[in-house]
Amino acid sequence: MRVWLAALVAAPLCAAPALEFNRDVRPILSDKCFACHGPDAAAKGIPLRLDQEAAAKSTARGRPAIIPGDPENSELIRRITHARRGLRMPPAHSGVTLAAGEIETLRAWIAQGAPWQKHWSFLPPRRPEPPQVPQADWVRNPIDAFVLARLERENLAPSPEAPRETLLRRVSLDLTGLPPTPAELDAFLRDGSPDAYEKAVSRLLASPHYGERMAARWLDAARYADTNGYQFDGERSMWRWRDWVIGAFNRNQPFDEFTLEQIAGDLLPNATLDQRIATGFNRNHRANTEDGIIPEEYAVEYVVDRVETTSTVFLGLTMGCARCHNHKYDPFTQQEFYRLFAYFNNVPEHGRAMKYGNSPPLVAAPTREQQEAREALARRIETIERRFAAEGDALARAQRAWESSLAPAPAQFWSPAVGLDAALPLDAPGAERVDGAPSFVPGRLGQAARFDGASLLAVPGAAQFDIDDRFTLSLWLYAEAAPHGALVTRMSDRPEGKGFGLYARQGRLHFHVTSNYVNDALRVDTEPVLRPNRWHHVAVTYTGSKMAEGVALYLDGRPADFRVDMETLYRPFRNAGAKFTEPLRLGGGGGKENRFRGLLDEVRVYARVLPEEELQALALGTPVHELAAKPAARRTEIENRVLRWQFLAVAAPASIRQAWQEWQTLREQAEQLERTFPTVMVMAERPQPRDTFLLIRGQYNTPGEKVMPGVPEVFPPLPPDAPNNRLGFARWLTSPDNPLLARVAVNRYWQMLFGVGLVKTTEDFGSQGEWPSHPDLLDWLATEYMRTGWDTKALLKTIVTSATYRQTSQAAPALAQRDPENRLLARGPRFRLPAEMVRDQALRAAGVLTPHIGGPSVKPYQPDGLWKDLIMQDMEYVQSKGPDLYRRSLYTFWKRTVAPPMLVNFDAANREACVVRENRTNTPLQALNLMNDVTFVEAARLIAQRMLREAGPAPADRLRYGFRLVLSRPPSAAELEVLKGSLEFHRDHFAGRPEEARRYLRQGDSPPDPALPVPELAAYTAVASLVLNLDEAVTKE
Amino acid sequence: MHPLAESQLLRTRRSFLRAATGGAGLAALTSLLGGEAQAEGSPALPHFPPRAKRVIYLFQHGGPSQLDLFDHKPALAKLRGVDLPASVRMGQRLTGMTAFQSSFPTAPSIFRFARHGRSGQWLSELLPHTAKVADELCILKSLHTEAINHDPAVTFFQTGFQLAGRPSIGSWIAYGLGSENQDLPAFVVLVSQGVGGSQALADRQWGSGFLPTRYQGVKFRSGADPVLYLSNPGGYSAEARRRFLDDLARLNDLKFRQTPDPEIQTRIAQYEMAFRMQTSVPELTDLSQEPGATFELYGPDSRKPGTYAANCILARRLAERGVRFIQLFHRGWDQHGNLPQEIRGQCQQTDQASAALIQDLRQRGLLDETLVVWGGEFGRTVYSQGALSETNYGRDHHPRCFAMWLAGGGVKPGMSYGETDDFSYNIVDKPMDVHDLHATILHCLGVDHTRLTFKFQGRHYRLTDVHGNVVREILS
Repeated sequence: MRVWLAALVAAPLCAAPALEFNRDVRPILSDKCFACHGPDAAAKGIPLRLDQEAAAKSTARGRPAIIPGDPENSELIRRITHARRGLRMPPAHSGVTLAAGEIETLRAWIAQGAPWQKHWSFLPPRRPEPPQVPQADWVRNPIDAFVLARLERENLAPSPEAPRETLLRRVSLDLTGLPPTPAELDAFLRDGSPDAYEKAVSRLLASPHYGERMAARWLDAARYADTNGYQFDGERSMWRWRDWVIGAFNRNQPFDEFTLEQIAGDLLPNATLDQRIATGFNRNHRANTEDGIIPEEYAVEYVVDRVETTSTVFLGLTMGCARCHNHKYDPFTQQEFYRLFAYFNNVPEHGRAMKYGNSPPLVAAPTREQQEAREALARRIETIERRFAAEGDALARAQRAWESSLAPAPAQFWSPAVGLDAALPLDAPGAERVDGAPSFVPGRLGQAARFDGASLLAVPGAAQFDIDDRFTLSLWLYAEAAPHGALVTRMSDRPEGKGFGLYARQGRLHFHVTSNYVNDALRVDTEPVLRPNRWHHVAVTYTGSKMAEGVALYLDGRPADFRVDMETLYRPFRNAGAKFTEPLRLGGGGGKENRFRGLLDEVRVYARVLPEEELQALALGTPVHELAAKPAARRTEIENRVLRWQFLAVAAPASIRQAWQEWQTLREQAEQLERTFPTVMVMAERPQPRDTFLLIRGQYNTPGEKVMPGVPEVFPPLPPDAPNNRLGFARWLTSPDNPLLARVAVNRYWQMLFGVGLVKTTEDFGSQGEWPSHPDLLDWLATEYMRTGWDTKALLKTIVTSATYRQTSQAAPALAQRDPENRLLARGPRFRLPAEMVRDQALRAAGVLTPHIGGPSVKPYQPDGLWKDLIMQDMEYVQSKGPDLYRRSLYTFWKRTVAPPMLVNFDAANREACVVRENRTNTPLQALNLMNDVTFVEAARLIAQRMLREAGPAPADRLRYGFRLVLSRPPSAAELEVLKGSLEFHRDHFAGRPEEARRYLRQGDSPPDPALPVPELAAYTAVASLVLNLDEAVTKE
Repeated sequence: MHPLAESQLLRTRRSFLRAATGGAGLAALTSLLGGEAQAEGSPALPHFPPRAKRVIYLFQHGGPSQLDLFDHKPALAKLRGVDLPASVRMGQRLTGMTAFQSSFPTAPSIFRFARHGRSGQWLSELLPHTAKVADELCILKSLHTEAINHDPAVTFFQTGFQLAGRPSIGSWIAYGLGSENQDLPAFVVLVSQGVGGSQALADRQWGSGFLPTRYQGVKFRSGADPVLYLSNPGGYSAEARRRFLDDLARLNDLKFRQTPDPEIQTRIAQYEMAFRMQTSVPELTDLSQEPGATFELYGPDSRKPGTYAANCILARRLAERGVRFIQLFHRGWDQHGNLPQEIRGQCQQTDQASAALIQDLRQRGLLDETLVVWGGEFGRTVYSQGALSETNYGRDHHPRCFAMWLAGGGVKPGMSYGETDDFSYNIVDKPMDVHDLHATILHCLGVDHTRLTFKFQGRHYRLTDVHGNVVREILS
């Protein structure tokens, strides 16, 4: 391609002898020479470098490679033209050869004095003056001047403006991803004002669907998916980040801010929830949960992925090439790669990810509705609290009266009622006895169970918690020696078994949650020690976080410090569909060697995390009447509180008791609601910075020298006031001195609208990337973007209102042949719709597209068993119902290992790694997909129903209506004839086959309209399907 | 590929499309086929006369145990239960599953080995049928890989790189050589389930990476739709579809007359190709016309659609039709525990059909032009994972040595290559890595692995990256 394009771009040598190094010479040197004589030459023991002017022209080692003005004596020319194959460059073994034209270019350039240039994209863009062009009346804005100047050089003329309906369909698809509705079309065609088109553009930019359209490409770049990837590929939840992206585009967040927040929003002062969610960008990479991996290896891969993605998306650089060695083409050393790596290497993360759900660090990210529901609960809680405050005196009097009336027997003890899963007073036999009978002896509160080191009690059905559930275990214990053994557990009764349990071990409290003892467990031990020959109250609370931060251990009502022995829990007990049916056990669990010897009393299990004050209260173990007997002044705070709670629960006036009950219920509801908040994986920094080392050959286990964070030398340094961390890096990235960010961004927009970027290699602005087709236009757009405060909507408006964009895409054969990719822009863009638009358009034309923005991903139609064919046992594709079947494809659940087949067929980015270049192929699988996938067959039937219901009775009108729903234009007479013929054929066909017609109409969940005659509807359905399959239907014209 | 040839190849395809005119019924050209390269005669490929026209790759997914199938280690019998000497293990990395194990007891295979055929190849009693074709096999005993977990290891075998994103070997070959068949994809994948638990696979294992998606493998499934969306919707007949396509071509042709975009013609051709696939694929996957002798040869499983044995028959039928790269994946070789029982089951599912495929290709005269590859993503450890008993043991992943076999076009039959130490733990002679295997497979197809390239992100990528040596000793 390069050869061909060079011929197109560079005028013939004889005609225009002035060569430009960056355009004409560097690409040859880079592609043919730099692999050996480039930035990594020294590593290969090669002395000559051709990527640096001084080295290439140096006389230090004899005859210079390049003698300006003297090609014949330049060693470079001598060697590339050497008669002897063995001495000719490039060497035969490299497989690289120079074309005759390339040799001539090099020779001519040296003859012209061999002027050198720094690589173009590393120089800051300068704002060019739009050129003066003779055909000035065609120019609507500066874009057109640049384009026209080039066309005039090529002796080409621009094409006329596209028909109005074509233009509206084009710009509607480009800005919202959806075709115009008939009403929108009609309004536009009726609007005779000179700025009718500009108004339509403004309307589209203001549509909430604009954000969805822009997000679609951003998700490709950000490798967004709903699963973790690699082998097991379990579900994750990043849709709140996805929705943040949609929202950011819709509110037209300046692109520099959009960039900065995604790289380092968490490090901004007083970072908002949105700014933290934004950093999910760099947590969208795949994460490995396989059992046997070495976590350090994957921890490195995650950081590498961040560097590569960040470099590609924001800098258009292939930094990944410098992971194992110095970059072969661009001036980046391996050390510089690891200096960038260091910015992203300080996340408190583990190389092995959670098998189900998100992996830390993460934040709870309630939606607006959830935040409102939470606030509503808070208001109701407050109302009750105000009532208690208002009635404070009366309540206090009533409580004092109750206190003085309390009798010693029967003794009342306060305990929390909300969330109680099991209360085992152990006053008498009740639970199932195993391996002998615990005896019942006087205990801390009533009787207690005495365990002899062999026996245990089993309580089936209690404490059915998994690793992501919250719970509390609370009990009293007494032992004559240092307490040792299982206290309360739900785990298999063998050492190192699966489950969870609270233990005493040589007097320390031990708590574990274990899926696999060896590598999949959370284990902690208290520092403080339990003493023999006295009662202790002990408790553990667990939030279901799978992390030590979710554990609290209490000793006699006080939180106890603990050590973390292991913190790698990641697979639930229900993993791979396993059943986990162990009973709750007291005094045992974890094998016979772990049975407890001593007394246990008042075991309580809660399905919530009890707050410290409630555990403190439980640890009092004092009957309420004794507390009441104490003079109020000598009571502790917690004693007062227990009295109050008991009064409110049992003795207050009925309405107060009810309010108290409600208050507790609301608080629990609030907590339950909070647990339903979606989370997002985000960036965060370790408190203690982690050292970064260059990794020799890029391998995790071969660290070399230590490196400090920093940006490549070829670029300007960090802004003077920026900290040298991820935030500083983000400031550098978005600084106006960065030559790449704006160019790379505007180039992607150009690609989105015209199919090919001004730099075709959207992902590579380095030396191997392509020279821009319109360098001045690229720089004008880049500087315009920065000048307007990175206003994306304004930039897009400038582009889509240009005369260049508005040209018709119909090209004369000669032009199509001369410029098949339309790089010269002598016509409007024409190329196949992106995958998601192919489907969204059909749903929109069918009138069923669900317009709702955001929310968890959905599962539309997919052939049966696709997941089952490939994946492990316990994930099933459960198809969505109702409106969720018709959401925009942006919301389709993306499972990395078995991606949505329709989107894949139409070249959607793979979401395994960052993709910024749009890819379009044309295959028979696409044909089969459009003809036979239930999505499109059902859509065809729904379009047919619209044709029959919404258009007049004449078949021609109905056909015109359906055709226009998809293509935004009426059919020509010739087209209408074909449609009519098709309709006639299918009418006849189905008339004699009513049962087949009925089956044909029963595609999809929506029922066919019973009011419409079956063969007629079937015939129109076939014609609607024909329209959906047209080349023009899947093409933006 | 030479960069110039690379651009020429793409350009020839484009200009061919541009040259093609007319409406319906146009000979199918592009896409899945890649066949136009052949039709046009690519300037660069093949680089030299090929020995094989196509590959059937029988991927044994999960990591079959070389110790229980191919790599006979009689000296181990006396060492049962003895801790694997540190001098053998040499402290190399273990997977997270056994790294914490307190001992590494040697677990000799409980299966008997014997010599087979004139070549006297050693094979275990688990492979009685394979034993009958021992003289056709080139058994490689010294494969090694860098990956120790399934996903990276399979990805490495499929793409030459452990992380997802690069083209699979079948895609490279489809890109380089195209297809010999105008009605079928160049690269077809068939998946079957083993006994017991299976490790997950992913579509990307046969993805085209950065190559155009038309080179991706097309997965054929058992059941009504062997290719996704192949069947017409219920109630819509083939007759109606024919008329539909004629009308579609008419309309697209009207468009083309107004807007001469070659993509329109390509689309017309692709719809015709799709229509032909609607006939050719069911015809291909319909085994009802196979004689009883076929099913006897491939074993009783072969009558059940979707089994490995049925897929082996399909592989032969695909080979007959000129499909370039046919890849079977049989899952279920990941025997961390309870290996003896599970591997028996796996072998019962695969042994007869694998051997039958060789015999069948041979009797049809196709074996000489078809390279058959049998193997998994790594081997298994000599030490037992979990408890070792007289009759039971498990084995963890082992990347340092494992066995595969090749047969047919281009390779020497009846030989074995490479040698491991007495523990089948380290290679002592002729190590062969994954890149070497790739280079050798490409060589058999007439492709120089250093010259089949594609430029992406500024680099000329190849299947073997910067590695790989053709193992000439095994070439016939």
